[in-house]
Amino acid sequence: MSGGGGGRLKQLLAVAVTKGVEEARARIFGHVLNPTGLRSPHKILRKKLFGEKVAQWYPHDITKDDPLNIDRREEKRLSKLEILKRRGKGPPKKGQGKGAVKRNKGK
Amino acid sequence: MEVRKENRNIRDNHRRLLAEKFELKRNLYKALVRDPTLPQEMRELHAYKLAKLPRNSSFTRVRNRCVFTGRPRGVYQLFRMSRLVFRSLASQGLLEGIRKASW
Repeated sequence: MSGGGGGRLKQLLAVAVTKGVEEARARIFGHVLNPTGLRSPHKILRKKLFGEKVAQWYPHDITKDDPLNIDRREEKRLSKLEILKRRGKGPPKKGQGKGAVKRNKGK
Repeated sequence: MEVRKENRNIRDNHRRLLAEKFELKRNLYKALVRDPTLPQEMRELHAYKLAKLPRNSSFTRVRNRCVFTGRPRGVYQLFRMSRLVFRSLASQGLLEGIRKASW
């Protein structure tokens, strides 16, 4: 009988010791104890933020940074438009386009 | 790159920036929703807020696309390019330390 009581005491002590150890461990390593297994927000909050890495997938385009380069492109575009206009391939005047002519014919 | 594909990449980049911007907020709301110790009303409010975040700020909307061609599949994460571009660049020797295996 007394041996049984001692065993119980031992068990109690062991539980207390392991519990204390666990708590101490959690305190030292900054863990969050959740012995009941409840749903906890900590699972989400402890995640590392990876947004910065995700946002840096596409490299920065240097050619779009340089105003000189952009100007050159714009000039090229305008000169091309000029050439087209001279050949009579520019944009039609209002009411002279394909769709507009069709619409007027219908009426 | 074709205009369509380039626009896809621009759109994806926009999503990435949004995702980065709202990452912290999203995590916070999610955590508040998941916390069973909070009152039900508060959790519901934060669930609503979570749902009201811009949809494009979700990480699941982000797709790893090829930086050169905009290809959405067969893209190597490490090189950020599609397998086709990778193959051509690697065979030209433009990628440092990449060699075709042969034994």
